Amino acid sequence: KCMGSGFVELTIFPTVVNLNRIKLNSKQCRIYRVRVNDLEAPFIYNDPTLEVCHHESKQRNLNYFSSAYSAAVSAVDPDAGNGELSIKVPSELWKQGDEMKVLKVYIEFSLDQPKGGLHFVVPDVEGSMAERGAHVFSFGYQNSTRFWFPCVDSYSELCTWKLEFTVDASMVAVSCGDLVETVYTHDMRKKTFHYMLAIPTAAPNISLAVGPFEILVDPYMHEVTHFCLPQLLPLLKHSMSFLHEIFEFYEEILTCRYPYSCFKTVFIDEAYVQVSSYASMSIFSTNLLHSGMIIDQTPLTRRCLAQALAQQFFGCFISRMSWSDEWVLKGISGYIYGLYLKKTFGVNEYRHWIKEELDKIVDYELKTGGVLLHPTFTGGKEKEKSSECPDGKVDFIQCKACDLNFQVFNKLLSLASTASSQKYQSHMWSQMLLSTSGFLKSISNVSGKDIGPLIKQWVDQSGVVKFFGSFAFNRKRNVLELEIRQDYTSSGTQKYVGPIKVTVQELDGSFNHTLQIEENSLKHDIPCHSKSRRNKKKKIPLMNGEEVDMDLSAMDADSPLLWIRIDPDMSILRKVEFEQADFMWQYQLRYERDVVAQEEAISALEKFSTAASRLALTDILEQDQCFYKVRMQACFCLAKIANAMMSTWTGPPAMKSLFTRMFCCKSCPNIVKTNNFINFQSYFLQKTMPVAMALLRDVHNLCPKEVLNFILDLIKYNDNRKNKFSDNYYRAELIDALTNSLTPAISINNEVRTVDSLNPDVRLILEEITRFLNMEKLLPSYRNTITVSCLRAIRMLQKNGHIPSDPSLFKSYAEYGHFVDVRIAALEALVDYTRVDRSADEFQWLLEMVQNDPLHYVRHKILSMLAKNPPFTKAAESSLCNEALVDQLWKLMNSGTSHDRRLRCDAVNLYHTLFGLTRPSCLPLPELGLVLNLKEKKAVLNPTIKPEQGSGGPELPPAVVFTSSEEHVVMEPPLGGMVLPSQGLKRKAETPLASPPEPGQVLQEEPVVKGGFPTQEEEDIDMDTVHDSQAFIYHHLNMLDRPSTPGKEPPTMEQTIMSMPATPVPLFSKESTLSLKHGGEHHHHHHHHHHHEHKKKKKKHKHKHKHKHKHDSKDKDKEKERDSHTFSNSPASGRSMRSPSLSD
Amino acid sequence: MLTGERSGGNKSNTSPAENYYLARRRTLQVVVSSLLTECGFESAEKAAVETLTEMMQSYITEVGRCAKASCEHTARSTPTLSDVVITLVEMGFNVDTLPAYSKRSQRMVITAPPVTNAPVIPKSLVTGQKRTHPAYIPSHFPEFPDPHTYIKTPTFREPVSEYQVVREKAASQRRDVERALTRFMAKTGETQSLFKDDLTAFPLIAARPSSIPYLSALLPSELELQTLEETDSSEQDDQTDTENNPNNTIHDDAGADKENAVLPPGGGVPTVKSNEENMIDNPYLRPVKKPKVRRKK
Repeated sequence: KCMGSGFVELTIFPTVVNLNRIKLNSKQCRIYRVRVNDLEAPFIYNDPTLEVCHHESKQRNLNYFSSAYSAAVSAVDPDAGNGELSIKVPSELWKQGDEMKVLKVYIEFSLDQPKGGLHFVVPDVEGSMAERGAHVFSFGYQNSTRFWFPCVDSYSELCTWKLEFTVDASMVAVSCGDLVETVYTHDMRKKTFHYMLAIPTAAPNISLAVGPFEILVDPYMHEVTHFCLPQLLPLLKHSMSFLHEIFEFYEEILTCRYPYSCFKTVFIDEAYVQVSSYASMSIFSTNLLHSGMIIDQTPLTRRCLAQALAQQFFGCFISRMSWSDEWVLKGISGYIYGLYLKKTFGVNEYRHWIKEELDKIVDYELKTGGVLLHPTFTGGKEKEKSSECPDGKVDFIQCKACDLNFQVFNKLLSLASTASSQKYQSHMWSQMLLSTSGFLKSISNVSGKDIGPLIKQWVDQSGVVKFFGSFAFNRKRNVLELEIRQDYTSSGTQKYVGPIKVTVQELDGSFNHTLQIEENSLKHDIPCHSKSRRNKKKKIPLMNGEEVDMDLSAMDADSPLLWIRIDPDMSILRKVEFEQADFMWQYQLRYERDVVAQEEAISALEKFSTAASRLALTDILEQDQCFYKVRMQACFCLAKIANAMMSTWTGPPAMKSLFTRMFCCKSCPNIVKTNNFINFQSYFLQKTMPVAMALLRDVHNLCPKEVLNFILDLIKYNDNRKNKFSDNYYRAELIDALTNSLTPAISINNEVRTVDSLNPDVRLILEEITRFLNMEKLLPSYRNTITVSCLRAIRMLQKNGHIPSDPSLFKSYAEYGHFVDVRIAALEALVDYTRVDRSADEFQWLLEMVQNDPLHYVRHKILSMLAKNPPFTKAAESSLCNEALVDQLWKLMNSGTSHDRRLRCDAVNLYHTLFGLTRPSCLPLPELGLVLNLKEKKAVLNPTIKPEQGSGGPELPPAVVFTSSEEHVVMEPPLGGMVLPSQGLKRKAETPLASPPEPGQVLQEEPVVKGGFPTQEEEDIDMDTVHDSQAFIYHHLNMLDRPSTPGKEPPTMEQTIMSMPATPVPLFSKESTLSLKHGGEHHHHHHHHHHHEHKKKKKKHKHKHKHKHKHDSKDKDKEKERDSHTFSNSPASGRSMRSPSLSD
Repeated sequence: MLTGERSGGNKSNTSPAENYYLARRRTLQVVVSSLLTECGFESAEKAAVETLTEMMQSYITEVGRCAKASCEHTARSTPTLSDVVITLVEMGFNVDTLPAYSKRSQRMVITAPPVTNAPVIPKSLVTGQKRTHPAYIPSHFPEFPDPHTYIKTPTFREPVSEYQVVREKAASQRRDVERALTRFMAKTGETQSLFKDDLTAFPLIAARPSSIPYLSALLPSELELQTLEETDSSEQDDQTDTENNPNNTIHDDAGADKENAVLPPGGGVPTVKSNEENMIDNPYLRPVKKPKVRRKK
């Protein structure tokens, strides 16, 4: 019932004389007609990614899949001059083409219930569309614009745009560029929004949002407009009140004005991702909005906004040259975002964030890097799943190179702005594309420094560095003998050679040393500055110049060393395991002022459960000048230490007296003060302490009664009436604390759990949870945080055997129609249930939801949670693992997810987790010898897929192939579904050298996209026609080196629809449809590659966008009629574009 | 006999003191009977006597009522002889015949009615002290009504002000209310249960999907809004907002109008457009253009 129709007009300047075939990207659009310069042009539509592996083969291994997929993807890769839609330029124009005149390509299309690209949200309530808050927005993973209109779907193809959207009069259409005017249609029931985007922009950066939005003009910047759904305006006002600060910050730091003349933020429901940036607009999840009473969401929302804005500069305005250059843009935008964090949230927060990101990357690489044959690489495009990590990593590289890069950014931006202002010379456009090599060149131009080694180490190689450090103090020589070893043999690691900074805090001060890590040197002698004798009177100078008194009684009398840190600035992607005595960690925790050092000390102290550690941690907890996140971490560490010291622990349970002192009433210490969250630091601490305390255990491994009662009292006496802020997060954490206090029930031979057998403590807990959950129905909390915590608690009760394990409650909360956070929490419980109870039913239920749920985000989450917490793995036998399941999953990733790349990646990922790379063991063996062979050598590339990989290329040893892919995956996150790099490399090798270097493809596109959204239609058309396709070919460097398309066709049968120019369109589509349905007219289309070269040679020219509009307006009215005509005339016309293979 | 009768007393026959009234009635009957005897009747049917009694009673009552009225008309509270005389005249009775009639010879003397205590109006509620008239009110004015109709009756005890007890009370009171409320909701609606053996043990109100889930999840509840109003919340942001952005006022209305589930279609947008043109130049605030009369065909 959701549909749109429109047309696109592209203006193409041929750069070659004999341009007779034009290829464009388009998916799931039903194309009615194509005209070139007013002449009907025949076209072919084929989308190989619709079904990755054709002819239902028995192949069920991921290697096979990944090679087939990369072939499919590169077959429609716009960077390689390919596309799903191939248009034959009418022969009448060939001659004109010889003179290289402008070609105007006009395409009429419609979208019917699109499954990807555009998302319609139509709440099921009474009223008109506007009253219901119905809206639609575009989304996609990386370059997914082809899902909603035909275009050259590449980040490197820039053109100017004119966009027109006709929508219901009650709706607002928000899109890229400047809103020129809004005009009613003749019947006054609709409005047409005219947008003009004069800055050359790539198609993937174009977006659209339509809905009955409330409009808020930013009070500080009138060019900035915010949109939100009805009733949310007060929240919008509050959430956006600081956006101008981010603007100011970026503009100042880049000394460059925001490149677009306006900026729009749109908040929509059922978002695909929280934040997505497009040229001059960003689309956010409506769930980021919050009122002034909400504490926790505020920094998160601000971060999202800052991120989105950073991407406006780098990512939207400056686009990338090729997939492998993605990291530069991600890195730069991440870097300036980091600077914003530093300025707004403080250095502590910033360094904490960097550490977090660093840890994430290190964990990720160490975990997955080792298993080189990880799905990440197999799927090829699977990389995005870890996109978080590479982002961080890249960002981190930027931090490292920050001094250098800084000036560079300026230059790049100024170049880019120059370029756009001179938009009539198209060669300047290339300045707006950024490539790795161009980036490096700019850096050396501006800073004069060569960061080559840096790039080589981190960008061209994968892996992190793992250091093990230990030291000894040589008293005689007064020298610190530091030993730094590296582990570069285990997976995900690499060897580091180069400088490393070591900071030594001595009695006389703090000293930095730069050591050179070389091949064989493990030991480094560092002379000490202080005499070992202690001068008790003197204060001890710290790194930041502060001088403090310390109690030095704990330290070794012979050594002047207080603590030692390796690579304190985190300038290397590393994991450091450093050995030093517990008292040194304690000194570091107490006196080092760097939050990262404090956090490292806290995690090191977990191993030293002594009274001294306890004291140090308690001191930190009480120190209100200390960074609150450090204090929060100290809580958990203290709980661990307390558990380890159980037998010797004296006094009340850890943190209890502390909490009492800080948050309880003076007169009656068992009652907590009424809430006052004005001080955020203590708010966070107040939230965290009970959660950590609940982790305490007594000798029976139960949560001490005292602690449990304490938490129950906190809940009981919680009083928020006098508070300016909402306490929903606090209450949610108290429930989490209850959850943490749960321990497994003593079960007597697996009896069924009944109310009577309920442990009295658990009964109390359950009562609280019941009450909270029920109250939430009457007075819902912000983002339903309390429901989320309750669901987790209930699952924990089930898991520990206190109440019967039963998925039905979670199923009802997982249904569409609940708030998304609640659904995810319920689904997480279900995923856990599936694993613990090995329930085939629930697994099936989840998979069905993956296929049918209206929310893309939920589908994605189900699959990724399943992969994270799999019901079984390839290592273990399970009754769930059967042939039907394999087929189901295979079908899901092969054809069921063609409309959403992220989902396809998730599916592949899950498949890998469940079955591994090779053929699932539960399948019967088709070709016995071969498969057995495979199973024995899992690390080897499956020989069966060799034929598919093309014979021409040098056969790289599999190990090498995957290593290299790993690198790209991690270092240069070629996010949107890249093909296996190895494939790319091979392709290069296969490429005929004769093809001339390609000057950059060109086209000025002025697509006029018109849509009527949303329109109700009864037609039920299976939109499997929509093909997923991934545009990507791996290019190491910039476009100039790009070979033309390899002449290899994917090993699949392509079926072609050729139209005859003379045939009237409606008739034609009918005919072709019929023939397709009967399986006739299958052409093996072998002449594609002849044309590839032509297309690529289209010449670039620049040119002003003038024209066009005559046509548009005239055709516009007709268009609708024609559409309807087509529909009524040929009911099956919708199928004309469908790949025949689908009907097999 | 006539004057001795308080008309008011006779009027209200519903008095619980039945005996008192019955006694009077009986006396009246005796009077009627003796009058009949005087007139020469030897016997009378009971019904006739009753009817005559009734008439007599009505007559006397009417005389009393009118006399009272005419006395009050002259701002007095007790009827005097002249009031009665006027009344009788009004009712068409020739007063001059009265002395002669009273001295007639065959007049029968009947015994006075038995002395019965006038019924005491039961004091239903005795509370407080009955107030007497202040000095400036003449004593003939009606008395104050019963105290129970106007006095305050203190029913509470001194509030406990001890902090711990107060908190304790507040907490348990809130918990009780919440529990009662949720139990009620659970009883009256659909529920889910955590246990299979006892479905009522920990009843959970069934989860019900909503068609626009984000509204309830994001918007602060009324309760929270109240709290916010009570606590000091003059945020600067808000103020600047309204100052700098006059079009907010329009949206405020729309926003404040929370009762409407949804805004009227497009209502907000066009109004803004017409209003704000001069203030802020934002393309989204400009009015929508009319279609051109002639489009290129």
